[in-house]
Amino acid sequence: MPFTSVDGDRSLEECISLQQQELEVLDSIYPECIYRGNMNGIVKLEIPVELPETATLIIDGPNDASPAHALSPETVSPQTASISTLPPVLLEILLPASYPFCSPEILSVHATHSWFPFTSALQRKLLEMWQTGEEILYTWLECIRTGEFLDMFELSSAASGERVIRIPHAAPHLLLPLLTAYDKSTQLKTFCQNSYECQICLSSIKGARCILLSCSHVFCRACLENFWKLCIAEGDIGRVGCPDPQCVKALSEANEEEVRRVVTDEEVRRWKWLREKRMVEKDPTVVHCPMSFCQHPVPKAPNVEEGSGWERLRTCPQCSYSFCSYCKRTWHGPHTDCPISVTETFVREYLALPEDSPERAVMERRYGAKNIRRLVERYEEERANERWLEHSTTECPTCNVHVEKSFGCNHMTCAKCREHFCYRCGERLQASNPYVHFSTPGKRCFSKLFDFENIDDEWQPMEGFDAI
Amino acid sequence: MDARLRRVNKEIADCKNDKTSHISIDLVDNSPFHLRGSFDGPEGTPYEGGRFEVDIVIPDSYPFQPVKMRFITRVYHPNVSSASGAICLDILKDAWSPVLTLKSTLISLQSLLCSPEPRDPQDAEVAKHYMTSKESFEDTARYWTQIYAGGPGKDGKSAVQKGGVKDEIAMAGLNKAHVDQFEALGFDRSKVIDVLRRMNYRGANIANINDDRVVEELLK
Repeated sequence: MPFTSVDGDRSLEECISLQQQELEVLDSIYPECIYRGNMNGIVKLEIPVELPETATLIIDGPNDASPAHALSPETVSPQTASISTLPPVLLEILLPASYPFCSPEILSVHATHSWFPFTSALQRKLLEMWQTGEEILYTWLECIRTGEFLDMFELSSAASGERVIRIPHAAPHLLLPLLTAYDKSTQLKTFCQNSYECQICLSSIKGARCILLSCSHVFCRACLENFWKLCIAEGDIGRVGCPDPQCVKALSEANEEEVRRVVTDEEVRRWKWLREKRMVEKDPTVVHCPMSFCQHPVPKAPNVEEGSGWERLRTCPQCSYSFCSYCKRTWHGPHTDCPISVTETFVREYLALPEDSPERAVMERRYGAKNIRRLVERYEEERANERWLEHSTTECPTCNVHVEKSFGCNHMTCAKCREHFCYRCGERLQASNPYVHFSTPGKRCFSKLFDFENIDDEWQPMEGFDAI
Repeated sequence: MDARLRRVNKEIADCKNDKTSHISIDLVDNSPFHLRGSFDGPEGTPYEGGRFEVDIVIPDSYPFQPVKMRFITRVYHPNVSSASGAICLDILKDAWSPVLTLKSTLISLQSLLCSPEPRDPQDAEVAKHYMTSKESFEDTARYWTQIYAGGPGKDGKSAVQKGGVKDEIAMAGLNKAHVDQFEALGFDRSKVIDVLRRMNYRGANIANINDDRVVEELLK
């Protein structure tokens, strides 16, 4: 060996033992972070970042966005998420034989997924922290593990009591999912390793055998399974939720993913079926699919403007049949009326019910009060029209057009089809001699050419009639 | 050992270890599923100084179904049946949670005594009394506590002051003068007490009740 001592009286042996000690201490505190192997003086530190509390992570896109980038906004707009961990930073360090009395060397700094952009600057700053004779590895490790190093680069700030971390990155939309996935998996790992006191069986259970519900209450899987199984079996699905008294009072229910994690597939199916049934019983807009083989309950589509024709549309989720909830026929668009006869029976049924009756209210809820009112109006108009047509007009025997006579004799010539007919009885007349109908004794319209009244009505002499 | 038994045993043990809440749970017979709980009447209420016993039945699907509880000690309270001891409390029905324990439920009963909910009554007559005159209601509740729960009674007098004879008028929360008034007409005393109690012949409500109506009821 060319030298036996460094820095005066410090012997190489002393350095080796100091190094040995430092590494052993580190190894006992963070065994999962440190790796030495057989490499001569090389130490690898893989340091996961565990923030002291949950922080908001913002990843900023490149500031000098080129026009191509500007076209797709998701590539430049900042991406945010709530996290409490960040992927590890890997330091490869060479400890010279005379460390800690001469500077350690940082061979490389690398962040998993390259989430940390300033690796070479970090390398410099870490080296600046070292002072002669100081064992620096623990300080470095803590500085990175707690996220303190983010402050050195002014990436971390505290806004209204909450920590915000801003990281610049070329492709935020690619980096963010990686970081959130990492955060989620670490949290899950910690959850599984911890133990929780299940409030139902009153025992302490390992997290791996527990379930963290979305309301952040934790119960053991077995208790939750027993509870939900019973509720599903009894059809009491309102209780399939977090068993915590506060959540029970708030009537909060478990979501499908939670239920699926706890009970069997068959129970999940029954649970879903019961929920659907409950919804059907609750929702007055539900009508059953008119397909005889299907009969599935079909609710009104959400976000339909009240009073619009679209309110009538139903699409069966089971057999995809799209139909009109009024006439139960194939969907005929929001503007086309239902075939009148169906509407008529429907409106008749509605009008037959007493006003303010609960049955009317149910119909109004099911089909939309405005729609019904419009239908009733139209129906009544239609009825009035029919009565008027019947009373005051005569149908052309050929083209069926209704003709109202304002004045004149009862010999009509249809304006539409040129047919001759009697206004009084509606009989077809000979075009060559239409008056035979009125001049033949014995015929029902004999001498009634100028009779204004309908055949069914009593003949009334009218003033000035003779003058015509 | 099934989960229900394990849990009930834990709960009983937990109650035994807890010396501060003064809540006890004891076995009625040899089954751990039929128990008797007891707790102190809350301070600052007419129930203060009394010890209240509750009959507890653990259903088969406990703790997923609510525990069945009923007062053994007679209680004068709008949410407790004065006749059967049945309790009207949401957590014993739809608001039950498997997280609730025997102890926490007994504590809830204790706080029910502190805060009556007369709009959701188990005993309509008691609830009416409570709404008509809180003061008179509290007198009656205190008297019941004294008679049935070993309470100190008004002015700290002992319960057995009259040689164990209960004052039926005070039990019904009525005024002696009113009972005497109708008794003087020749009606049986217990009948008068029964009718006046049913008619809520108390406080401001008396102005709404015609004497003729009382007599009419008494003649029925």
